[in-house]
Amino acid sequence: MTALPDVTAVREAVADVLADRCTPAVLEDAERDGWAPGVWDPLHAGGFTTVGVPEDAGGAGGSVAEACAILEEVGAAAAPVPLAETGLLAGRLLAHADLALPDGPLTTGAGPVALRHGALVGRLERVAWARRARRIVLLADDPGSGLVVAVVDPAGASITPGRNLAGEPRDAVGLDGVVPETLAPAPPDAREALARRGALARAALIAGAAHRVRDLTVAYTGERVQFGRPVSRFPAVADHLVRLAEQAEMAAMAARAAAVGAGEHGEPAALDAAAASAVASEAAGLVAAAAHQATGAMGVTREFALGVLTRRLWSWRDEWGGERAWATRLGRTLAAGGPDALWPTLSRGVGTSG
Amino acid sequence: MIFAPSALSPEEEGLREEVRGFLAGILPADFRPGLGLGGRHDPEFTRALAERGWVGMSIPVEYGGAGASTVRRFVVVEELLAAGAPIAAHWIAERQTAPALLRFGTEEQRRWFLPRIAAGECWFSLGMSEPDAGSDLASVRTTATRVEGGWRVTGTKVWTTNAHLNHFAVVLCRTTPEAEAGDRHAGLSQLIVDLGADGVRVSPIPLIDGEEHVNEVVLDGVFVPDERVLGEVGKGWAQVTAELAHERSGPDRYLSVLGLYRAFLETHGEDVDDTRAAAIGRIGAQMWTIRQLSLAVARSLEQGEAPAVEAALVKDVGTTFEQQVVETLRDAAGGEIDPEGPTMFERLLAECVLNAPTWTLRGGTTEVLRGIAAKALTR
Repeated sequence: MTALPDVTAVREAVADVLADRCTPAVLEDAERDGWAPGVWDPLHAGGFTTVGVPEDAGGAGGSVAEACAILEEVGAAAAPVPLAETGLLAGRLLAHADLALPDGPLTTGAGPVALRHGALVGRLERVAWARRARRIVLLADDPGSGLVVAVVDPAGASITPGRNLAGEPRDAVGLDGVVPETLAPAPPDAREALARRGALARAALIAGAAHRVRDLTVAYTGERVQFGRPVSRFPAVADHLVRLAEQAEMAAMAARAAAVGAGEHGEPAALDAAAASAVASEAAGLVAAAAHQATGAMGVTREFALGVLTRRLWSWRDEWGGERAWATRLGRTLAAGGPDALWPTLSRGVGTSG
Repeated sequence: MIFAPSALSPEEEGLREEVRGFLAGILPADFRPGLGLGGRHDPEFTRALAERGWVGMSIPVEYGGAGASTVRRFVVVEELLAAGAPIAAHWIAERQTAPALLRFGTEEQRRWFLPRIAAGECWFSLGMSEPDAGSDLASVRTTATRVEGGWRVTGTKVWTTNAHLNHFAVVLCRTTPEAEAGDRHAGLSQLIVDLGADGVRVSPIPLIDGEEHVNEVVLDGVFVPDERVLGEVGKGWAQVTAELAHERSGPDRYLSVLGLYRAFLETHGEDVDDTRAAAIGRIGAQMWTIRQLSLAVARSLEQGEAPAVEAALVKDVGTTFEQQVVETLRDAAGGEIDPEGPTMFERLLAECVLNAPTWTLRGGTTEVLRGIAAKALTR
């Protein structure tokens, strides 16, 4: 068999750091304050926030698969920090433009931004933790040189706070007239690559959260007694558990296969990222619904740990595209390839698709 | 759960190309693909495949097989199913009976049966279900009574695919009455019944699609010599359970609909609006993922593990997906279903709609599989 990289070590290391740090109190504070220093600081100190960004670009090194393994743990813990944004998204954007990596939380967003006479024109919507980011890294169209990577100090931009269903900051960033701190030409496919990494990062977060939802739901339904026995013994309830477990495995396999497919230094392939996003985003809704049905009224209380996870699943599934947008893209590609290419395309091995 | 993404080696990918080339050469241009296990019973095709060493691939070389790994077999089976090739003659013998013989058979049985299976000349049916024993398989009533030199078998088996064409059936029957055995899972045995023997009566059970490939098999005092007992007398239940785990998670659980999916692209691929694109993409994404899950199980089997729960999950996910594909493509195409329609897509859609109910029944119903998975999850 062709050996694929083993991500167990980094996964376990992050799980250790996160263990007991994302308590209900910490998560409540993070929703109120928009920040969780007690979660971010140890992850940052441990070098986990820039995994997936090459060492020579100032990152911690490591593959997309390792970065995604970390994101699964972040998702499982519901850790309220911009880990995906700092490393895989903004960090890689900087690295690809040969720009230095500022220290601290970074973020990015996708949207129509242009560069006019040295200043930016445009607005980014729903940028994760923009208000707390050390720098915002974005792509702008430069009529002179094509696509550029621009680094912006959020202090100089017009930030309108917003949030997702889980209370994670999703801010609007007005950029009109903002002069970027740094500018560098971006590779021509940078927008596409960023979109794929964004979709894959959300799939990995969903996979992690889905596994934790499974564990919580199995545990709760095993303890909750009605009609004289644990409710998980009732076939109708057990059916929810099985479908939940299946969808958690679907999301995880899709995210992992796409991440592993990026190889040691590469980027996720178009088909892989689209498939991962389409599968994981759909799974997110199914997992949340099954878990809530199985856990009854307890599951929807603020007291029970399920809600912090399902609110994230319901948010993450739509961020960076969502299942319909990615399925439509993938469908157009498969249709354009024609019937003869269909099976050869879908059966191409992990790491060999273009 | 042991699901981990798995890459295919260049050598495994090379085998895939080889099988693709072979199929392109042997199947006619206007070939109507079989729906996975609905592939036709075609002895000539089976023999041609056997000549390439692609029947009974996992049978060791000393017994006439190719001694290939689980994953090499996975690759070949995937290509056969993807093409809808006529595999029915050897399918059960190679997927189910050969591994059972290797695991539980006597040396004499292996020497006799396995080379014939690998040559594509010895075809098997399954003799499990009965009129009163479906999901509750342990309630089989077919009985074998001790006689000199062997057993006399009496009872009725149903849903026996291609029993009218195949040579043998592995029959699950009671060799010790339940009252004596104490436990309903005890006292069961597997006997290899020659379907041409005296006392065997095979009659078709017509299905709603008009096909007559499943049968009722009445066994009326059929003599089975001792050397045709598979495994240990009284251990039939454990043997059958092990067999079903092997059966469960292969590519036949997500590729039944590939022919339909492909035909949809042929007919509607030029005229793709957003709704159709989303349908095509969603199916592709799911298939790509389920395939990785199935491959992960094959890899795990190859390493000597027994991923029974994972296999049950993959089968449930896969067969549920297959049924959804039929509905999704029907909806995306629009219009009435015409079984004699001008396009391959219409004809296959008609076949799929009539066949799809069986996909979540055969090899363990959805409900039984979820029961198995739930037990493991909540253990």
